[in-house]
Order: sequence, then C-alpha cells, then structure tokens
Amino acid sequence: MPFTFWIKTAGLFLVRSRRSTTVLILMVFSAVATLIFLASLAIGINDAMIRNSVSLFSGHISGFNLPSTISRKSLFTDGVSNVLMRIPTQGILSHSGNLAMVTLIAVDPVEEKKSSAIWKKILQGRYLEPGKKEIFLSKPVAEQLNIEPGDNIGFSPDPDLPPVELAVAGIYNTGMYQLDRGIAFCQISAVPAKAAEWNAAIFLNDGADKDLILAGYHKAYLKDSLFKTWSDLMPDLKQLIDLNYISMSIVMVLVFGVVSLGIACAFSIFILKNLREYGIMKAMGVTPSETLLLIFSEVILLNLAALFIGIIGGIAAVSVFQRTGIDLSAYTSHNQYFIVSGVVFPRLTTYSVWLAPCLALVFSIFSAIWPAVLVIRKNTSQILRSI
Amino acid sequence: MIRTRNLSKSYSTGRGKVQAISDVSLFVDTGMTLTVMGKSGSGKTTLLNCIGGIERPDTGSVECFGVDIHALSNRDLSLFQRRNAGFVFQAGNLLSYLTVSENIAFPLVLNAIPNKEKDRRVLELLEKIELSDAARAMPNELSGGEAQRVAFARAIAHCPKMLLADEPTASLDTETGKNLVGLMFALGKEEKCTIIISTHDQEIIKLSYKSLDIRDGKVKGPENE
Ligand SMILES: Nc1ncnc2c1ncn2[C@@H]1O[C@H](COP(=O)(O)OP(=O)(O)OP(=O)(O)O)[C@@H](O)[C@H]1O
Ligand SMILES: [Mg+2]
Repeated sequence: MPFTFWIKTAGLFLVRSRRSTTVLILMVFSAVATLIFLASLAIGINDAMIRNSVSLFSGHISGFNLPSTISRKSLFTDGVSNVLMRIPTQGILSHSGNLAMVTLIAVDPVEEKKSSAIWKKILQGRYLEPGKKEIFLSKPVAEQLNIEPGDNIGFSPDPDLPPVELAVAGIYNTGMYQLDRGIAFCQISAVPAKAAEWNAAIFLNDGADKDLILAGYHKAYLKDSLFKTWSDLMPDLKQLIDLNYISMSIVMVLVFGVVSLGIACAFSIFILKNLREYGIMKAMGVTPSETLLLIFSEVILLNLAALFIGIIGGIAAVSVFQRTGIDLSAYTSHNQYFIVSGVVFPRLTTYSVWLAPCLALVFSIFSAIWPAVLVIRKNTSQILRSI
Repeated sequence: MIRTRNLSKSYSTGRGKVQAISDVSLFVDTGMTLTVMGKSGSGKTTLLNCIGGIERPDTGSVECFGVDIHALSNRDLSLFQRRNAGFVFQAGNLLSYLTVSENIAFPLVLNAIPNKEKDRRVLELLEKIELSDAARAMPNELSGGEAQRVAFARAIAHCPKMLLADEPTASLDTETGKNLVGLMFALGKEEKCTIIISTHDQEIIKLSYKSLDIRDGKVKGPENE
C-alpha cells in the first residue's frame, strides 16, 4: 500500500474538516509563537546582562600585564571589534592636604568612548578629551579628596618625583566596588609612562565565539600573558545566565506540559470524532498499522502546518522587538547586571527557535497515542453500532 | 461458496447474557444470493458481521471460498476482507471527507489497482448507479438513496467475491429500496458476486434466489443444514 496514499488521505481529512483543523492549528500556533518569543526574550535578557557587564569596562576578554612586545594591533583577530589599551600606574592623588591611593589608568579616550561605557556613568563634568592633562575619577575618590570638576590635583607615582598636575574633567559612579574604589582615569600622554606592561579590554562582535578567540590568544601568547574571558572573571554572571537557561527550559517544558493537556484533549476529540471513518475503513480491510499511519500522518501534517506558521509568527514578533528593544529599565535600575542600560533585545538562536516546535511535535505525537490505540482496538461492529 | 458451521455469538450486556446468534449453519453457493430476514434484535447484523469477519464468533467457523476466516490473524483477515469482501451498512457508509469518486476508488487503491484502470472502473460504476454527475460531490450532499447507491458501488468496486449488505434499504422508502436491491442483484450477477442481504422487507425477499428466517438468533429456514 503506497505510503503517499495515506499521507494524501490524511491531508484531505485535514483540509476537509476545515473548522477543527483551523482551531487546532491556532492552538499549536499560538503556543509555539509565544514560547519562541519567550525563549528569545530570555536570550535577550542574558545578552543584556553580558553586554552591560562587559561593555562597562572589562570587555569580553581581558588581558593582564601584557608585555609591550604584544601590540594592540596584534590582538585584532577574527571576531574582535575593538581592543582597548590601558596602562595602570599606582600612585597618590593629592589636593589641598587630602590624599588618596589610586591606580591611575591611562586610556585612549576616543577608543574608550567607542566600546566601553564607563563614561556614560558621569555624575558631574565630562569625560576625558584627547591631548588634555585631565583626570576622570570616581565619586568616592572625589569625596575623599573633596574636589569638583575644574579643580587641579596632583598625582605622584613615585614619592621621590614631583607630582604631575591634572585637571579634574569629570566624576563618575558605577555602583560597582571594583570600579569605584581606588581607580581614576587619564589619557595616555597625561602622565609619563612608567610601567612596561599594559592591560587589554577586548570587545567582540555579536555572535563571535569568545572561547575560540581566547584559545587563539593562548596559543600565541601563553608564556607571556594572562587572558581571561568574562565568564572566568564574573563567575556569578556566568551562573546567573546558566540558571536563566535552565529555568527557561523548565518553564517551557512545564508550560508545554500544561498546554499539551489542552492540546491532547483537542487531538483526542479530533481523532475520535472520526471514529466512524476509521471503523468503515477497517471493514474495507484497512489494517491497524495503516490506520495508525493515517492518524499519525494527520497529527504530523497538522503540526507541521501549525509549527511552520508558529515559527514564522514567533520570528516576526521577535524581529519587531529586536529592532525597538524592550525597555525594562524600571525593573533593572538597581541591578548591577543592567548597569548601562535596561533595554532588552530579544534574540533568535537555534535554542529559542527550535525548542518550542520540537516540544510541540513531541507532545502532540504523544497525545495522539491514546486515541489512536483506542481507534485500532475498538472493533468495527462496536464502532458502527455506537454511532 | 460461503459456509458457516455452528456459529454462536453472545454478548454480556446490562440485561445479562444475550445470545445474539446460536448454532447457525448455512451455505451459499458462489454467485448466488441469500436474504436473511428476521425482526429487530433477531441477530441479523451479528450474523452478517461474523460472516464478513467484522466480528469474531464465540464458537463455530466461517468458510469463505475455501478460507476459514476466523482462523486468520487480524492482519490477514484485514487483507482477506480488502480483497474479497464488500460491505453495505444500513446508513452512513461513506467516508465523509472523501468525494463520491474518492469513496468508490478507495478499495481500488487498497488493492493497488493501477491509476488508469482505477479511474476507468470508477467512471463505469458511476454510470451504472446513474450518478456520473455526482463524482465530485461530498457524501453530505447526497440523498439517502444516492448515498446507498454509492456505498454499493464502493462495495463492489474491487470485484469482491462476496457482498454483505445489512439492511441496506432500511433508511429508504420502499420504492427506492426496491430499486437499490434490484440494482444490487443485477450487478451482483454481472460481477459474479455472492450476495447476502439482511432485511425485513418482503418485497426484497421475492427478488432473492433463496432466503432464510432468523428468530432469536436461531435459523428457521430451509437452508439450515
Ligand atoms: N455489541 C453488542 N453488545 C451487546 N449486545 C449486543 C451487541 N450486538 C448485538 N447485541 C444484542 O444481540 C442481539 C442481536 O442483535 P443484532 O444487532 O444482531 O440484531 P438485528 O437483527 O440486526 O436487529 P436490527 O434489525 O434491529 O438491526 C440483540 O439483542 C442485541 O441487543
Ligand atoms: Mg441490525
């Protein structure tokens, strides 16, 4: 018996029982589209946390104590969008008798503005400008020294040398301990370079594989330096993101479990409503396996149609919000993982697109098993008598 | 040739055990017609179902053209039915999602008849039941009599050796019913089909080659061996 005949017959059954097919398709479609959107939103939230955390300062990959033999240029490999050079110098800041121990980090203000976001956390004044002898420091340091933008302060890396004079350009506050305590910034030529070593903040393009790039660096510079990715430097964020994935998957399975109860009932009714048809076919000599083939073809065809439009619907919804973003600032303003911006951009990944459809297909097929078995076990005389 | 030997079937129901048929032995020669008559509840449907393999009897055997059908596995029985049997039920015979011609073609596809041959046969049958214009109609667009004619055409489409019709005229008026059975007998003869029809219509019995009476599950007629 040709396989295609049963598929074709299943198709005719579906097309010609238009109303119930439409209702079922709508049910599966809305479940799938919604879950695709939710999964993409979860991915978007993860993205936002990573983006916020890495873009503030550290980059996706950080290089520590790199010797001057490693040039900034040489770190630009495939997938790298920017490499920020930072040269730390320990020293003392002084202003009218007040002193503060800081690590003064020399940066390139133009490049910093392109990739990092610490300059967006300004409270007073402005960010560093290229070529000027200025300092950009945190609120706690400013309070300790009792200064305001425009004041001049001294920086001495070495107690034996006279201090370098710097004008206060601006004061920032990130709310993160590591970035607010004992740190100040100046542009590279503002203080005489002392250290031969530099730190790198490496920013990657969207979708670039940080581990691959890290492996490349390790291979090239293993002996001289230390590179770490954000997941090594921020294990708490890494865990939060893993947790988010897992809880999202659990939610999806649970939601689908519940939704599938509804879908299962609908599928059972859909199949059992045609009980008489299957009874008549059986009297014509259709074997149980052919009946099963027919029923499952119906279920699978219906699902494919529903999943197809569900995927399209989900993708469409995601693309709309992918462009505009969803502003969750009201719920993220006190959260260190959303320090730069609370706008979340849902993103489609293999996981977010395929998890829901796969679950839908599996649940529907499972929910068709009971009615299908009922159909083939019921004998024709009973079926014909009962209707 | 169809032969049953000591066929019995009982059901346990809310009324206790009901002996639907008991100890029925009968014989119909190839190409002949038999009408089974009896009042409601006498066991006609049960008998026809057992003969056609739709229902398994408790005891006894059914031999259709040399095959003891209740000795076959379910699957083999299905394959036997698809090749050799055609059924017409009281009403609601047609697959409601298929058109008239798709319904008639169904047993032909099951029997892997090539497309060209299949189409030819469908057209031929539609002509014979005078429904050529209804080829693409859906079953719910037919009258009761038309639907029964289509059911009949479908039942004989694959030239089965036996045709079993369980009160095929019950939902029709006398005139239409008589015409349908007349058509069944005439075409059955043409196709060399062995026909068993159950009915309680005296007019139909007159058309048949032989008949038997069933009362409370027991056969009273002269054909009881
Ligand atoms: N599946 C079943 N379950 C329980 N009882 C049944 C079943 N099938 C038949 N019976 C009983 O067996 C007896 C014979 O039924 P059957 O349907 O064969 O009679 P019938 O002659 O075809 O009647 P009718 O002319 O009303 O169709 C009846 O008493 C009926 O109640
Ligand atoms: Mg009956």
